[in-house]
Amino acid sequence: MSVHERVGDPEVHTEAGAEDVKLCCATAYQHDAVALVLGESYHPGGLDLTRRLGRSIELRPGERVLDIASGPGTTAFLLATEFDVEVDGVDLGDLTVAKANATAASEGIADRVRFHHGDAERIPLPDASVDAIVCECAFCTFPDKKTAASEMARVLEPGGRVGITDVALDPARLDAELQTLAGWVACLADARPVAEYVELLAGAGLTVTKTEPHDDALARMIEQIDARLVAFRMAKVPALENIDFDMARERAALAARAVREGIAGYSLLVAEKG
Amino acid sequence: MTMTPDRQKVDRDEVFLEYTKSICPVCKTVIDGEVNAKDNRVFLRKRCSEHGRFEALLYSDAEMYFDSLRFNKPGTIPLETQTEVKDGCPLDCGLCPEHKQHACLGIIEVNTNCNLDCPICFADSGHQPDGFSLTMDQVEAGLDAFVRSEGEPEVVMFSGGEPSIHPEILGFMRMAAEKGVKIVNLNTNGMRLAHDRKFMKDLSELPKRPNIYMQFDGFAERTHTEIRGRDLRHAKQKALDHCAEFGLNVTLVAAVERGLNDHELGDIVRFGIKHPAVRSVAYQPVTHSGRHVEFDPMNRLTNADIVHGLADQCPEWFRESDFFPVPCCFPTCRSITYCLVDGDNVVPVPRLLQIEDYLDYVSNRVMPDMSVRGALEKLWSASATPGTEMTAEQLECATCGIDLPDALKTITDKAFMIVIQDFQDPYTLNVKQLMKCCVEEITPDGRLIPFCAYNSVGYREEVREQLSGVSVPTIVPNAAELRPVLLTTKYGSKTHGNGGGDGDGNGAADGSDHVPADATNVGKNLR
Repeated sequence: MSVHERVGDPEVHTEAGAEDVKLCCATAYQHDAVALVLGESYHPGGLDLTRRLGRSIELRPGERVLDIASGPGTTAFLLATEFDVEVDGVDLGDLTVAKANATAASEGIADRVRFHHGDAERIPLPDASVDAIVCECAFCTFPDKKTAASEMARVLEPGGRVGITDVALDPARLDAELQTLAGWVACLADARPVAEYVELLAGAGLTVTKTEPHDDALARMIEQIDARLVAFRMAKVPALENIDFDMARERAALAARAVREGIAGYSLLVAEKG
Repeated sequence: MTMTPDRQKVDRDEVFLEYTKSICPVCKTVIDGEVNAKDNRVFLRKRCSEHGRFEALLYSDAEMYFDSLRFNKPGTIPLETQTEVKDGCPLDCGLCPEHKQHACLGIIEVNTNCNLDCPICFADSGHQPDGFSLTMDQVEAGLDAFVRSEGEPEVVMFSGGEPSIHPEILGFMRMAAEKGVKIVNLNTNGMRLAHDRKFMKDLSELPKRPNIYMQFDGFAERTHTEIRGRDLRHAKQKALDHCAEFGLNVTLVAAVERGLNDHELGDIVRFGIKHPAVRSVAYQPVTHSGRHVEFDPMNRLTNADIVHGLADQCPEWFRESDFFPVPCCFPTCRSITYCLVDGDNVVPVPRLLQIEDYLDYVSNRVMPDMSVRGALEKLWSASATPGTEMTAEQLECATCGIDLPDALKTITDKAFMIVIQDFQDPYTLNVKQLMKCCVEEITPDGRLIPFCAYNSVGYREEVREQLSGVSVPTIVPNAAELRPVLLTTKYGSKTHGNGGGDGDGNGAADGSDHVPADATNVGKNLR
């Protein structure tokens, strides 16, 4: 889930092209305002859903795992310590990668967890170099999903597994009001229905073996964003002084409605390289 | 061979959870107990060879009970323990070396005398000529023991009786601060605060301004007459307004009894959030120790009822998932939430971050951010006191961890705390919980006795007898099923009418009149 960095200003983003969306998302996470609203390492479902994802792709000790859009490394650290695997993280944000590597060093696990600057459409790893891939709340934002899927297939060993959690959205069901929302929230702008994710992965030779709904996790995250907006307004945060809080909260209410009505949701997918 | 229908095996109607130790509520002998879940509620059952079978409700939402168990933090070993292990828990208090947690909060009951005679009083206090009143030396001895055990103690609460009418109370509070106690609480009914402006001024001028922990049970006249024996509404309001005027922070403490004031949970927090002096509300199901109105142990009020009650009565602000167990003590004992308040905007802190990612000690081996966990541990603890510097710092730290900017730190001034605490009584006492208790009664002989042991096992009677020189009978809960064997003491509490020994005189669960001795059931009792 990613919000355009100029939260509360819906006009700025509606015209953005695909490339802008992607950059916007990665840079947005380095931007205070977005980190403020979303929380630095937060994705829907929190650590519990990350754990579930790790179990769903049946991680075994010693396996090599790639985390695409690894952020500050929370998922990589959890997988490395709880599943006893080696993790390579890839993220678009330079600063984010540097910070994550510093955390790995200070936690004394830099030998098992590394972070690289890189793009999901040009993963900086050799062919058939990992046993499993996780990608949390990021696939929806990749502008060229077809290439991203084939990159996953390329770096995976034969028989390797992919675990994705992501926003699923049916654009056909968006009414005018929700269209505005999709323009405002980057990941909604390019999220697809689950069936389309399945198709995209299949096209790259990745067979989806399991899909699981986790819409509550998305609902809770939207609620968290709303709670933070209220808290920020109370605090009169200078960095957010230009935000129209009422409008931002209206958007959150819209997003909550979309989840309630089943138009937007959150899904866990498991795929295998045949 | 076919089985005849009358020989069909049947399943039990409950889920067996654990085997533990408790006490007989009548003779206080240590006996075995078992905990079971039935109809989404959790019960403790036990049998005394002398007094029969007893069962009591522990938690009225079994799912919530199970979910809370993962919020269990490894205990901290105190610098010094005060007793040896001799007879085993709960007869060696305390603290003995087997206790699992240090003391977050120490209580000193400075007297037994009180300016009220409430029908509900776990301390069995009142206008009594035969109690005790601690001297400066006795309080000092207790504080010194606490300091030896804790190094820098977090919180001391002066209680009673009514501590505000003790002539030396200001000196006691000053001494606690001088000995390095970080937070000093005055546990009061508020009567003196309502009527004595000079005392208010003295309190506000103490080098360490105390937090006022004030009984406040609700707004209905009946609530006052049934719990306090008098309509104290006007006096309570005046006391609170004085606290605001003199800059003293207040925790409203509501003793909640089923069918009496459990409909006022929402109104109490609404009132508290609006009142300038009030920084927190503590809800406590009435402790069925000492003096209280007759109750049914199978239908007593529990923490889960208060959580559900707040969600029902205050749906605009709260729901069940806003409350998280306190991991320093046993997690089913106490639940807390914080909220940020600005006018009509109320945001529970658990909606700003995933508390369970930090305070679930069972599944989480790596932390997203250790400093956030540290901050949340301080907030979700028995020593947290809103309006103090320490709590404000921890809220800042917790908010730092979720990337709230510096300016957000200003709203920590607006943080409001809600605590829900179920103290154990002779019916519900479970040594598993007791062994991790972090709220201790400090006695002048230098012991730190877990609060629920003090109230239930016989320590309170023992200490009062020692300090007053007047013999004190063993106090028995005023349970409906015990009515036939109860006598009223001169303090208004109940005791066993005929010294025991004539078998089961009460409503034994199975209606039997005698329970055979049990080879494992060989506990002693304290007195």
